[in-house]
Amino acid sequence: MTPVLALLLTLALPAASAVLTAILRRPPGLRDVIHIGFACALATACAYLLQVSLHQETPARLVLARPLPNVELAFVLEPLGALMGAVLGGLGVLHAIHTVGFVRATQELAPARTMSFLSFGAAATLAVMYSANLFTFFVAYQALTLATFPLVALGGGDEGRRAARTYLAVLLAASVGLFLPAMVWTYALTGVIDFRIGGALAGRVDEITANVLLALFTLGVAMAAIPPVHGWLSASNRASFPSLTAIQSLAVIPAGGVGVLKITAYVFGAAMHDARWAALGLLVVVGVSMCGAALIALSRQDIRERLAYSAMAQSLAAAMGALLALPAGAFAAALQLVSLTCAGATLVMAAGTVFATTGRTNVADYSGLGRAMPWTFAAFAIGAASMIGMPPFSGAWAKLWLITAAADAGLHWAAVMAGVTAVLTFAHLAPLAASALAGPAPTDPFKRPDGASVFLVAPAILSALATLWLLVLADPLATFLAPLWAEPP
Amino acid sequence: MTDAIELIRANAPLLGVGLPLFGAALMLAAPGARSAWALASLTMLATATVAVDLAMRLASGAPFLSVGAGLRPDGVGVWAFTVQTCLATLVAIGAGAMLREFHQRAAPFAFALFLVMVAAWNAAALSASFIGFAAAVETAWLAGVGVAALHGDRDRGALSGALRMLTAGGVAGALLLVGAALTVRGAGADLTALTEQQPPAPGAAALGMGMMIAALALKAGVAPLHAWTGPAFGRVGGFGALALGAIGVVAALFALLRVSAYAMAAPAIAVSVSHVLLTLGVISVVIPSMQAVGAVNVRRLAAYAAAAQAGCVLVSAALGSPAGFAAALVQITALGIAAMALFGGAASLGQAHGLDALDGLARRAPLSALAVTAGALSVMGAPLTLGFLGRWRLIEAGVGGGWWWAAGAVIVVSLAAVFYAGRLIERVYFRRAGAAAVEPNLWRLTLGPALVAATLAIGVGLEPSLLLRAADAAAALATGPAP
Repeated sequence: MTPVLALLLTLALPAASAVLTAILRRPPGLRDVIHIGFACALATACAYLLQVSLHQETPARLVLARPLPNVELAFVLEPLGALMGAVLGGLGVLHAIHTVGFVRATQELAPARTMSFLSFGAAATLAVMYSANLFTFFVAYQALTLATFPLVALGGGDEGRRAARTYLAVLLAASVGLFLPAMVWTYALTGVIDFRIGGALAGRVDEITANVLLALFTLGVAMAAIPPVHGWLSASNRASFPSLTAIQSLAVIPAGGVGVLKITAYVFGAAMHDARWAALGLLVVVGVSMCGAALIALSRQDIRERLAYSAMAQSLAAAMGALLALPAGAFAAALQLVSLTCAGATLVMAAGTVFATTGRTNVADYSGLGRAMPWTFAAFAIGAASMIGMPPFSGAWAKLWLITAAADAGLHWAAVMAGVTAVLTFAHLAPLAASALAGPAPTDPFKRPDGASVFLVAPAILSALATLWLLVLADPLATFLAPLWAEPP
Repeated sequence: MTDAIELIRANAPLLGVGLPLFGAALMLAAPGARSAWALASLTMLATATVAVDLAMRLASGAPFLSVGAGLRPDGVGVWAFTVQTCLATLVAIGAGAMLREFHQRAAPFAFALFLVMVAAWNAAALSASFIGFAAAVETAWLAGVGVAALHGDRDRGALSGALRMLTAGGVAGALLLVGAALTVRGAGADLTALTEQQPPAPGAAALGMGMMIAALALKAGVAPLHAWTGPAFGRVGGFGALALGAIGVVAALFALLRVSAYAMAAPAIAVSVSHVLLTLGVISVVIPSMQAVGAVNVRRLAAYAAAAQAGCVLVSAALGSPAGFAAALVQITALGIAAMALFGGAASLGQAHGLDALDGLARRAPLSALAVTAGALSVMGAPLTLGFLGRWRLIEAGVGGGWWWAAGAVIVVSLAAVFYAGRLIERVYFRRAGAAAVEPNLWRLTLGPALVAATLAIGVGLEPSLLLRAADAAAALATGPAP
């Protein structure tokens, strides 16, 4: 298999899975085998691409179309995309298994459609990860919005449709109203819109333009949930748990984080110095919102809302790292995205398992459930520890690098805010996990006597274990991701 | 045989007008609705063959021919002739499934009027003189009114729409004729000679040209002169909506663009004409976009969306540069194709026009839903569609001309389109089907043209190099070859 073919497969496999799942919805066993089988194949392709990118000298490039002069619909194998693709591909297998377990346990009304749109979402997410230029990113971003919008609406009745409309309106309006003009402006300035090591805009823009462009780009990527374009996240938190896993951990928020990081690193690069005022303003917004989101999470009693705001705080931490415009900041942002993906998926899948087997979503009802569901809550506790930033879990290294980078940049207040967010995250996740594991066991926890199936429990545990891997891989990753902060060639 | 082909080629513009007129005359002998439809389809296929052949020959470097009979092809004219003839062919073929919209004996008349309309718009696209141009536009308009009125058998509201068209068209006709006279008087030259001499009274020429542009804008449904579009589009049947929306509006925009191209090439009046185009364009970007967001009728929504797109076309034309005219040509083509997909897809709704009629269409009629979706995405300006391509070209042309705010106008249209086109898609895929049923006896044939349009909306968006090259070439020869 060549890298270009593998790139094509990472887009084609989930799309094929989506179509086949929708067509072959019965018998359910066949549908489930297709969903999991294609996820495994996708993970293999993503892992292969990561392995290739470790040794490649010239990045593999796949051009699907050339819709405008000098503008290609193209995908490239660069380190950040390869890393995130591999992480998402691997977790995608666990998510697929968990989804199968969830739809079987809850007798969901439209399981095939849910799986189909999850697969479309996976294809669009990987297109974002491997995008070679702003245009491809924009196309993939729009596709991801359209693919995940039904996930918010499905099964939610009129309320779900209203929420889905809000979701669609915020994401599309921000991308069309802010990102598109910024992309056109960049094209007019540089004649190309490729992601380039060192930054496509480096040395080509004046300070005013750089500041305006950075604000437009960063807020245009609304998936990063930077206020005031974060309304889609709260609108989506009534979706089903498999959908929430995708939105908060495996598709939408990671796409937003990677988008901001690619823009600061590959579009701006050295030009971030010219855009320092916009960066500073955005850092203030991000820092305050990060603390605010963690605080709001503390006030929420529904686990879906609490996890949504928690994920928002973590996503903003990644944006903060990217906006610091330092090598340490970019590295912190990349680690934060990997960590959020693993820990966030663990938490939502664990909460989904609890809902599927006990019907509970209120955090007050979690007390003592850990005694009935020890494996699930062990995973939940590990995920929470990683989100908080407790060593040796992956979140710890990301927070450490983020605080170091903020201090290096002379922005001590930003470092303090990152610390405060960690404390608030501790406050809204740790007592929950502790009371679930240590409280008195409820007398009749399960809806069904056999409890949670292995399809529901195993993915959460394996995902939790994934939060440990940065412990040994932080140094090699720093070398691997070096092009993110490299000087222009 | 070769001589015959050469003769046909040499008289291609004349055949573009004559063939549909001949077909319309034959309709009097057509015994029934189906034979009339077959005859109309064959006529349009023949005309489209002639048009495509002419366009291909000119694109490959063949010289422009002046064929007499008051016709003189130029870049915009040939483009318009080709696109509107091809769209009309699709409409004619798709109309086979809409024969029930007319009384059995009225169907041949409907097709005859449709063919007259196409012939007249082709004449407007190729006309060499103002008087020929004005006569052609008025003929086309009256034929369109007739097509709308013939739907009155099924829905009396169609008569009201036709009456509005007649009234608006009367005002526009007067404006057009007076404007043409003023322009000739002020410029001291006819349409195709506008650029060749210094006008004796530039003020009168500019005023006349402004009146002509206003008249054509009214016929193209450009805001704020689009009061007739809602009632007309909202109540006529599927065939009427296709004839007026995918052909009438598109052809009127082409006619407006052609006149503007000659006016913008005449330095004495170019600035005034640019201001008129710009004012109308900006108003037409804003008002219909808001109306479309609030529309509850599929066809009204499409009419308002078309008016918003027309605003972008006018802004492109106001630039006056070849890049601006190329952008306008791409946008009008995108609009025609999207209208074809939207109206063609919505034809399966029969007499139901409300947005709720689209609920669950994906399950009831998946192919229709596909056509509606492609049309909506193109109208929205979603990436990799023809609509996106048109907007991008406008932004490029605007930025190239220092008109940064033109990019802002495009963003306004796109943002509004996200809401109204997004609403269409949501209803098609995520609502349960209501009481409105899909037309049970709908011929699958009717979906062919809509699906062709849907394929073009996406396919050309993916690989647009040929279209862009052709648009650039046509825009470079907007006023014909250098004398």
